[in-house]
Amino acid sequence: MDTQFLVSLSIILATFALYIGIAIYNKAKATSDFYVAGRGIPPIFNGMAIGADWMSAASFIGMAGTIMLLGYDGLAYIMGWTGGYLLLTFLLAPQLRKYGRYTVPEFIGDRYNSHTARVIAAICTIIISFTYSIGQLSGSGVVIGRLFEIDAKLGTMIGVVLIAFYAAFGGMKGITWTQVAQYVILIIAYIVPVIFMSLQITGNPAPWLSYGEIVGKMGELDRELGISEYFAPFTNGTKWQFIALMFTLMAGTAGLPHVIVRFYTVSTMKAARWSGAWALLFIGLLYLSAPAYAAFSRFILMTKVAGSKITELPGWTKSWVDTGKLQVADSNGDGILQWSELIISNDIVVMATPEIANLGLFVIGLVAAGAMAAALSTAGGLMIAISSAFAHDIFYRVLKPNSTEKTRLSVARWSIVTATLLAGLIALNPPGAITQIVAWAFALATGTFFPALVLGVWWRRSNSQGVIAGLLVGLGVTLAYIFAAKYGGFTILGIIDTGAGVFGAVAAFAANIIVSLMTAAPSQKIQDEVMDLRYPEQMTYKNGEVWINDDGSKSV
Amino acid sequence: MKKIDKKVADRYFREKTRNMIIYFAVGFLASFGVVLFAEPLSGITINGFPFHYFMGAQGAVLTFIILLFVNAKLGDAIDRKYGIDEEKNKQISSGKVLDH
Repeated sequence: MDTQFLVSLSIILATFALYIGIAIYNKAKATSDFYVAGRGIPPIFNGMAIGADWMSAASFIGMAGTIMLLGYDGLAYIMGWTGGYLLLTFLLAPQLRKYGRYTVPEFIGDRYNSHTARVIAAICTIIISFTYSIGQLSGSGVVIGRLFEIDAKLGTMIGVVLIAFYAAFGGMKGITWTQVAQYVILIIAYIVPVIFMSLQITGNPAPWLSYGEIVGKMGELDRELGISEYFAPFTNGTKWQFIALMFTLMAGTAGLPHVIVRFYTVSTMKAARWSGAWALLFIGLLYLSAPAYAAFSRFILMTKVAGSKITELPGWTKSWVDTGKLQVADSNGDGILQWSELIISNDIVVMATPEIANLGLFVIGLVAAGAMAAALSTAGGLMIAISSAFAHDIFYRVLKPNSTEKTRLSVARWSIVTATLLAGLIALNPPGAITQIVAWAFALATGTFFPALVLGVWWRRSNSQGVIAGLLVGLGVTLAYIFAAKYGGFTILGIIDTGAGVFGAVAAFAANIIVSLMTAAPSQKIQDEVMDLRYPEQMTYKNGEVWINDDGSKSV
Repeated sequence: MKKIDKKVADRYFREKTRNMIIYFAVGFLASFGVVLFAEPLSGITINGFPFHYFMGAQGAVLTFIILLFVNAKLGDAIDRKYGIDEEKNKQISSGKVLDH
């Protein structure tokens, strides 16, 4: 138990106390008008809350490491995960807000007027959120593993218990102000070390402006070592893989059930528009910093760590080697650690860099607290998406419509515990790096929900048979491609498992459109409801005519 | 409640759709467009970065953020032009939520 352990643990506990304090304070204050209070939150703060929900262990812990190891090819994650907000804010969020259903299975079930579609959508929600949560658990394993200097597997088990408690006792999720606090902690924890590294290496306090020079310098170092330059495009995959991955991440963002739910707390279509804009601004702060983080980390490793004597490696190497995520081996036996002899996992770059750069106890502890905030806030949201899909959409709406509130709540709690334990089991031996696991969740969302939602909102002719065919074909094609590419070595144009969504989406759009056209059109009422989504709340579409509600009365 | 000319309503939808198509085109060029021509563009240097790297790491993200704020601002302007009152939208939509 060294000082670092105590400092990190105290910062983590202090931030947890802050979140719980805010949750209790708000709950006591606003139980009676919970919904009104929730909707009264200004878009700017709602944007921060969306940011906390959105930025997961993959963004916080995994992304900079992925960019560091993949170079330019890792930037597909940056553009994909931010560009998705264009699709979401233009094509879906305001329209879904007007429709007035907020869980994805509920929208699909009611828009297409089909219980079958509702159940399939609920099952897809569970599969997507489950895959995503494996990434979160393996991320919390890295943080906890380092904190207690134990194997990341044991860390994952502790994370499972934490997350199951956190989500099952719920309440946290609905309270936007807790997430605003989580966002603030998370972004400070991410940006502070980048600024310090920038000062240390370039003397410039603005990393976003200063790291361009470092990227250029690393290109020279790489040429000297005879490896491909850091910024050279498409060295780790084809150009088509880059494009497919970027598309998959964008469309998946627009189709992720737990993100769409966030637009529940906005009041109108206009507020949805503004919340989307503020959310991307706040998310962008982290995404603009991640490539800088990656560049500084790599530069420090190349210039300060590589080339030092194997017997004189600094203390941080030992604690990271213990987690099983770092390997230093003097394979050519010359007593010096070469760049090629240092094998670092994507997932520890963000956590390890503050130690490598010697940024001090406080910054290292802060980064651990930020990583926990990112993993917990997103895992909480995912578990709630899973439990509402199972307890509400499948159990209550389809299986047992007469069940009591109490039964439903206990079904919801048990589904959270079961899902967390199962995800934890898989996370013990994660089938990929955090960003890769999360990319599969996005591929599945791209292949299933993105086509179903876009056609549901923008094409009134799409019907229940069409959406059922689309969801099943999209899910099947995406899953088949992920497995064939990962385990069978099958690829098209060099597109690997993470880019699978592009095939799923094309197949699902085609299936939905063809089957819809071959079967009867949906009822006039449904078609009118879809046309109605073109206009703001005050305008109503009915029987080919548009009415304006100028006295603000609620009945239409 | 009063009926409005279908042509006016259609114009509202067309204006918003036209803007959306422009935003998508700009966003597409900044991301997919630059990726497609990454190799020829890498010769240009901006602030120390090769151009394709700059766009991937910063340019595209900044473009997306600007587009979303332009959309929010212009969307408000279009609403005003067609006499849409946000306060009334709030009243109407707070009654339209499916509670359960």
